[in-house]
Amino acid sequence: MAALTELTQALVELKKEDVLAMIEGELEKKTAPLEIVKALNAGMINVGERFAACDYFISELIYSSHIMKEAMARLDPLFEQTDLEAKGEKVVIGTVKGDIHDIGKNIVVTLMRNAGFKVIDLGVDVPADRFVETVKETGAKALALSCLLNLAITEMKGVVEALAAAGIRNDVKVVLGGQPIDEKVCEYVGADYYGPDAPAGVRICKQIYGQ
Amino acid sequence: MSDGMEQLFEERLARYQATIALEPTDRMIAAGTGSNNFAEIYAGYSRQEIMYDINKWMAAESKFAEDFPRIDMLRAGRIWGPMFESVGFRLYKLPGRDLPANTDFQFVEGEWMKADEYDVLINDPVEFMMEYRLPRVLGEFKEKGSIRSYMAFLKGGMAFVLMGQLMREKMLNLEKKYGLPQPTQGAMLAPFDVLADGYRGLQGIMIDIFERPDKVVKACDALIPDLVNCAIATADPLKRYPIFMPLHRGNHPFLSPKQFDTFYWPPLYKAITLLIGAGYTVRTYLEGDWTPNWHHWNEFPKGKILCDIDNKADIAKARKDIGGTVCLAGGIPDRMFILGTAEEMRARVKELCETVGKEGGLILNGGCAIPYLTKPENFKAYLDATLEYGKYDETIKPKLKKPLAAPAGGPVPGHPPTVVTAWEKKVEEWGGVTGDEKMIRDPWEMLERRAFCWLHFWDW
Repeated sequence: MAALTELTQALVELKKEDVLAMIEGELEKKTAPLEIVKALNAGMINVGERFAACDYFISELIYSSHIMKEAMARLDPLFEQTDLEAKGEKVVIGTVKGDIHDIGKNIVVTLMRNAGFKVIDLGVDVPADRFVETVKETGAKALALSCLLNLAITEMKGVVEALAAAGIRNDVKVVLGGQPIDEKVCEYVGADYYGPDAPAGVRICKQIYGQ
Repeated sequence: MSDGMEQLFEERLARYQATIALEPTDRMIAAGTGSNNFAEIYAGYSRQEIMYDINKWMAAESKFAEDFPRIDMLRAGRIWGPMFESVGFRLYKLPGRDLPANTDFQFVEGEWMKADEYDVLINDPVEFMMEYRLPRVLGEFKEKGSIRSYMAFLKGGMAFVLMGQLMREKMLNLEKKYGLPQPTQGAMLAPFDVLADGYRGLQGIMIDIFERPDKVVKACDALIPDLVNCAIATADPLKRYPIFMPLHRGNHPFLSPKQFDTFYWPPLYKAITLLIGAGYTVRTYLEGDWTPNWHHWNEFPKGKILCDIDNKADIAKARKDIGGTVCLAGGIPDRMFILGTAEEMRARVKELCETVGKEGGLILNGGCAIPYLTKPENFKAYLDATLEYGKYDETIKPKLKKPLAAPAGGPVPGHPPTVVTAWEKKVEEWGGVTGDEKMIRDPWEMLERRAFCWLHFWDW
């Protein structure tokens, strides 16, 4: 286990070559791939915590994901698909219609996944009815709406109204995030919460699920 | 232009120049925003109409100037859609083409330069552009050497000149008919942002600063002379207006302070210092939150920079931290223009005039722009309240600044503007010329330089 702790630590310290070499070492030792993934996930959780504490920045967050991606490219073929499916609480997320920006959303997705959520990422330019359908299908209790542009304010209000029209407004909490969002906008949109930054978005989703 | 308009234009310009220089003025600038997005669509045209129909574009600007005659400046538009189509520029989605006609045009993130192409960029910028990057970002140049690709360059060059003429016409319309100066002219990106926005993309650059940090530093350094020369080529030759510089990936929390100090700041500082040395002022948009990094702006000489502070940061803190060195713009949340009431707007303007802007050095603005979706009554309240509360000393009449001469040897010492075919080579091919060489050489070099800058136009 000490070696796996070192693997976690190497990922936290963003030492890509060490991480990849340690994975090979573990595989040679016949360590179960799932145990290796668990060690890597622990590293990603730590990176997320450091980001929330402002010890790490987006640069480190992106680079840690890059290392993780390379690690998983090695490990993925060793699994059956079902082994790796996220099993956490569900969060539906997307950038609202009219806005194609996804940098902020992707950071939130990374942090949410690091924190153990099963994130259903609908991408960018997502129309209101698609949010509604996905919330219905998945039964997610948290819907996160992202944006960069001011035009999203009206669009977000439309999503909240569409949830109400579909009769599911009370089944899901709506969280807003993005450049133009503040308390007043949240109130105008009729959302439940807003996250002034990405870690706040994760904290709110944990709160929604009583974690 | 009537004498009245000429005088009004000069008064407004002189007030703007004095405000940037942190010198006393009679009053605060009214609606001194660099990016008046609201003005583009106020007249009721769609985003597509503004980007494609030049008559509507100009009519929209005239209408705004007529309905709000007390504004002190107005930007003469930005992007002419047909220019993008001429070469198939792939970095933006446009209203009415890829987006609904009434949606803002938007930047497309992507990797337009590969990780192993840094050496080419550093050692041979022309080869880098022609062989690597432009075939990727200009869809019409995808098949280099095809008839279609030659036509694309021809059309793109023609469109560039047409757009220049169009912009000039629009600027003159605002100047001569309404006495309105421009908030900026000419543009430059931070060298790091050139890499991060339109070359490597966000993912790529963030990996590079860990895996090939020396290359990133060298590439930023290599870009400086061309970026500076190309910015000056598009700037106001009379040096009346600041050069526009939107800054992106240096904001918090993209880079750690150490990464900022290593990758972002040194080349940006060098580039801006060269522009200042060449007699220009600069309007930097600090997009996002720059609080941890804006202390660097104190390294510049006083009164040469106008800094737009975005909604994510606190204008009062900016004033405290850098207000002694640079002029600031901002202070009004975008949300207040869009969702607020006229009373709220008046109260916010009054508060800023009595606090952050009390001693001057502040232009009231939204977060780097007046939003598209601004309510007209809120814009009016913002304008009226600025004129009511933003008074200093009516006896002060700022004078127009005389442009500083360009430094001997060009703006970047030791780096003449890049060209593909130097005059010396051309004249050698001819075996000399028979008449006045200078008469042939000057336009040759002017066209060579302009053509090279056209390649950089597609950086972002």
